[in-house]
Amino acid sequence: MKTNQNRQSNLRQIQVKIRAQKPHQDMNRIFAATFLLLLILMATFILASNAYAHGEKAQQAGLRMRTLNWFDTEIYPREMSVNDNLTIKGKFMPSEHWPRHMASITDTAFLNVGVPGPAFIRVNSNVNGTPMIRSTSFELGKIYEYEINLKARIPGRYHVHPIINVKGAGPIIGPAFWVNVGGDQANFVNTATTLDGTVIDMETYGLNASIWLHVFWVIFGLAWIAYWFRNMRKDPVIMPRFKKVKMLGPERADELITRRETLMGMIVLGAMLTIITGGFFLTQQVVPQTIPLQTGWIPIEPIENPTTNEVIKIKVGESTYRIPGRSFQVEMTITNNTPRPIQIGEFMTANIRFINSQVQTVIAEDTHHLIASDALRVEGGPILPGETKTIKMIAEDALWESERLTSLVYDPDSFFAGMIFFFDDEGNRYYREIGGTMFPTFI
Amino acid sequence: MAIVTPESNESPDKDPKYSGERSAKSAITTREEQIEAFRNIDLVSIPIIILLFGGITVFLSAVTVGDWDYWMDWRDRRWWPLVTPAVYIIFPAVIGTFTWKKFRLPIGATATMFAFVIGLWQSRYFNFHSFAGFPLNFVAPSTFIVLGIILDATLLWTKSFFATGFIGAFFFGALPYAVNWPVFALWHVPVSYDGNLLTVADLAGYQYIRTAIPEYVRIIEESTLRTFGEAVTPLTAFFAGFVCVLNYYLWVVIGSYLSESRWTHKVW
Repeated sequence: MKTNQNRQSNLRQIQVKIRAQKPHQDMNRIFAATFLLLLILMATFILASNAYAHGEKAQQAGLRMRTLNWFDTEIYPREMSVNDNLTIKGKFMPSEHWPRHMASITDTAFLNVGVPGPAFIRVNSNVNGTPMIRSTSFELGKIYEYEINLKARIPGRYHVHPIINVKGAGPIIGPAFWVNVGGDQANFVNTATTLDGTVIDMETYGLNASIWLHVFWVIFGLAWIAYWFRNMRKDPVIMPRFKKVKMLGPERADELITRRETLMGMIVLGAMLTIITGGFFLTQQVVPQTIPLQTGWIPIEPIENPTTNEVIKIKVGESTYRIPGRSFQVEMTITNNTPRPIQIGEFMTANIRFINSQVQTVIAEDTHHLIASDALRVEGGPILPGETKTIKMIAEDALWESERLTSLVYDPDSFFAGMIFFFDDEGNRYYREIGGTMFPTFI
Repeated sequence: MAIVTPESNESPDKDPKYSGERSAKSAITTREEQIEAFRNIDLVSIPIIILLFGGITVFLSAVTVGDWDYWMDWRDRRWWPLVTPAVYIIFPAVIGTFTWKKFRLPIGATATMFAFVIGLWQSRYFNFHSFAGFPLNFVAPSTFIVLGIILDATLLWTKSFFATGFIGAFFFGALPYAVNWPVFALWHVPVSYDGNLLTVADLAGYQYIRTAIPEYVRIIEESTLRTFGEAVTPLTAFFAGFVCVLNYYLWVVIGSYLSESRWTHKVW
């Protein structure tokens, strides 16, 4: 009997001991796990490499080939300091083969810049000479010349693209170049002049007003909360009030609010409304000239492509893509109505330029410049003036694969499009867009 | 929970202080200890609640209002005064209901808006300014604390959710633009730029490049208020007030339901 009692007493002691120690052990485990998670989280920040690109290859191949033909893109200078100007200029032609299942550029679009955040500010931009502060629309098959002037703001290395944002379809990205910005952001200057002639610093304008307005109301907010906890040292609030409300029940719980507090509620409400109204009218006096936020749409006069059907006529025949060889082939019947013999010097699609090295020399200007300098072959020779000839164009390069254009074969309508650049023996250039159904060859 | 070790007493059962139910339930034996415990609850719960309120309201704002309150050139006179209060009244209504029904404390709305604004400043400073590089003035948050005070003060005065909805919630919806006008007005000063008439806010939106936010995305004005002249904002504010009245009642009902202890009973 006594042994049994001893056993029970021992057991109880062990239980008490476990009860006393377990919370500490649990807490230690929780702290250790939390610390480990924090370490892992920090390691991801430290080990993660910077992302410089913008997902250019992520878009469906067919979309990249059939939306915008960007050409003659120039981005200069490539080395610069904070406050220096950067120019992006070139031309684009909305594809005449724009996918029917995609929102069209003929509705609403905006000329934009692809950079990681406001590393530059946009000083001005125009398309065909029209300022591009507003949105606009572009006609298919017409030529647009754009120029964007930026000013470097944050030092770093940036892959700078022109972009056209198309409402309902998203950004359509143009060719890019790497730009290095040196210097110190602290030296960046950006001022503007308001209509009344006041010069303002766009980096800090209105910041003090924001801070002080917040400080003002934070003080009131803190004061309101602090009032209810004013006697917290002697008279705690949360649990005692919870118990009292429970004890009094919902019908009588209002007894916890004194007449003085009720009166205070009324006064504070009146005071807040007075301060807001006063602040509003005082601001109207200090800043009397204001206008609503501005928005709008602006028309742009397009430029007709000088190479019309009357100049060079192209009839697209069979086109194939041979997957193992990364080789795109298209047969075309071309009529040359120019006064000189012409040859195909370049095929450009989805911002990739396949160059015929027998006609022109183009080399990549940086590591991500999408140039295949010797990837275009043309079977059939030059087309003489007045001649109609069927030729075969072969664009063959690993860029088809690395730029993920081979996925074109998986598109629901295997349709390609691109620009062909012809050159005559005097160096004159003619360009036309071609497009058609493409058949894959798997062997 | 009392921590009793075998070393402190040879046989806990024999010591009346630690015996039976008492030893397992509470270590508080005096009034002073009780007050200290309650005070500690105040001290611990207030910052936790503020942090929690801040986090959830900033998240709610991000997934509902989002761009409308991120950028100065989005805080227009037609949609911002309607969208922001209609969404931001949700948590003040729910939390205000909880603090009033459980503690008779008219602080829920103020504390929520206070925490929200503090959370907004952190988000704008660290995310938008330090990380993304936007000038802080362009992304500085709007203030809403006074709207919380108005809601709480009305509840304190009237002690009625119905009256608070009718008066306080109406002001909550109607006044955000007026409250923030001392800041907004500066950004609505006109500028002539490259042959276009802009506000300073529009100019900042144009200059500070946002690749994914083209000009056409901003919903500044859609349709017209043909018979109200330039009284666009007052009309919107009035409408926003009515929306907030209805929204307040809805969320007070939901807040009342969520304040029931049945949930915690089930967990425990």
